[in-house]
Amino acid sequence: MLKMTNLYDVSKCTACRGCQVACKDWNQLPAVIEPFTGNYQTHETTNGDTYTIVKFIEQIDDVKGIQWNFLKFQCMHCFDPECMKVCPTDCIKQTEWGAVIKDYDKCIGCHYCTYACPFEIPQYRKRQDITTKCTLCYERVEEGLTPACARTCPTGALQFGEREELLIQARERVKFLKANGFPNATIYGEKELGGLNKLYVLTDTPDKFDLPVDPKVSGNIGFWQNWVQPYFGWLIPVTLGASALSFVTSRLLANKAPAHTEGGHE
Amino acid sequence: MQWIPEYKADVPRVERFNFLARFSHWGHTVTFLLCLFTGLALFLSDAGWLAAIFGGYAGAGLVHRIAAVGLTIILAIGMVAGFKGIIAWFQDILRFGVNDIMFIVKFPLEFFGFPVKVPPQTRFNGGEKGNSMVTPTMVILLVLSGYIMWFPAIFPGGLVRVAYWTHDIAMVLGTVMVSMHAYLGSFHPGSGESFWGMWKGTVRADWAKHHHAIWYEETYGDKKDAE
Ligand code: HEM
Ligand code: HEM
Ligand code: SF4
Ligand code: SF4
Repeated sequence: MLKMTNLYDVSKCTACRGCQVACKDWNQLPAVIEPFTGNYQTHETTNGDTYTIVKFIEQIDDVKGIQWNFLKFQCMHCFDPECMKVCPTDCIKQTEWGAVIKDYDKCIGCHYCTYACPFEIPQYRKRQDITTKCTLCYERVEEGLTPACARTCPTGALQFGEREELLIQARERVKFLKANGFPNATIYGEKELGGLNKLYVLTDTPDKFDLPVDPKVSGNIGFWQNWVQPYFGWLIPVTLGASALSFVTSRLLANKAPAHTEGGHE
Repeated sequence: MQWIPEYKADVPRVERFNFLARFSHWGHTVTFLLCLFTGLALFLSDAGWLAAIFGGYAGAGLVHRIAAVGLTIILAIGMVAGFKGIIAWFQDILRFGVNDIMFIVKFPLEFFGFPVKVPPQTRFNGGEKGNSMVTPTMVILLVLSGYIMWFPAIFPGGLVRVAYWTHDIAMVLGTVMVSMHAYLGSFHPGSGESFWGMWKGTVRADWAKHHHAIWYEETYGDKKDAE
């Protein structure tokens, strides 16, 4: 099935945070007020009741002085989601059109997905002992609607549609930006981690937007999931088997020399 | 067929483990096993049936945490109240000598029931010395990594990711040791009396002389008066 996704064009974003509010509204999430840290950004990162935020990233440019880079940040709906692989209760699923969603009834709040995610997106919601994240509004999309954030965006910075079509549009836009004073303009999400089901048009390199240039699943998580979990545990049945075998053989051998077991031997 | 040798009260017996040692041993056995089975529900894929015993995954998680706190408390009590005993245990482990190496070399044969002759042993034989080093190390690793996994927000993310595989490796190595240890300390005919040492506190004097000759001589035999 065709992938359906958001395209977010930072060059059109005014950081009005309409998407952030629309997300709260649709998902009925209470406000979370974090202390002022000398930055206009509302929250440090996503949290248990805030699935998406607009980041304000300060850039000091020699020519233009202090600049703000804005970035709508949320779950990237990876094609190959690591969060889904580590979840011990199998509560994370991927829809055919590319949304990575969670069944909160099954989540036990173990945090594995938080630390497996290359962006550390899923966040803990204490009152329910679960971790939460953006759902790509899959309930809306499956009813033929647009995600709440994209529906709200007044400037057209956020669009929703078929990924292939949005990619064509994104390439055009990057070409235009490159020719108009943004030589480092780039697409993010096309190839990263094998493809993300969230596309970005950036006016500069990803690191200027607080995004990992080459996101990777941590080696610690890979070692845990690909080596320790599947293979290492087999040592346990081996020792249990050896003990069961010994139970039989030591009794058979003892029967041949009965005096030997009296109170045990050395 | 005999499972465990009969407990004989009418023969000379000597003390092997005091009350505190037995209390902490069985206390951490119960909490370790509770942690193990609730943890395995997450470690094994498709172990919903195992989680169901504890009322589902959330219930298993709760039991894991309660048992973890229980384990921590019992370890703390054992270490503080039994400080002297721990030191004596440690000193015995450090007396690792040729007799212990001989024991470990011959142990695989002994394990399966072949008659072997091993040199005299101290309070803990070569195998028990190995167990005394490996198992507690794994338990300490489990406790440390476990609390990091429980309260990840107060630790750096990199440490949390290390804790995940550390917890699993320590679980596997600890369980490997414990599964052999539990069998050796109960149904293995060669170990005979040792179960009663941990259950009732005393073992038959003739068994002690036989299995832990050096310890017996030093604690209850001729050498005791010489010291
Ligand atoms: C102080 C002691 C311990 C603490 C604080 C602790 C804590 C934890 C936590 C927080 C988890 C994550 C899952 C969840 O949220 O329920 C976990 C998983 C686990 N624990 Fe423990 N634990 C402790 C001791 C043990 C012991 C003694 C064992 C086994 C012998 C054990 C075996 C496991 C296993 C197998 C998992 C699942 C790991 C996986 O999903 O791959 N834990 N533990
Ligand atoms: C049902 C399970 C178990 C049984 C039947 C059992 C039995 C015993 C016995 C009989 C001894 C005394 C051995 C001697 O005479 O020196 C002992 C010692 C010991 N046990 Fe256990 N035990 C069990 C589980 C555990 C568990 C779960 C742990 C740790 C996680 C543990 C750790 C130890 C240690 C460290 C010692 C002292 C060193 C040694 O003798 O190997 N045991 N156990
Ligand atoms: S961004 Fe993180 S939470 Fe979202 S799908 Fe990818 S791994 Fe999962
Ligand atoms: S916190 Fe919930 S969704 Fe995340 S891995 Fe654990 S059980 Fe799965």
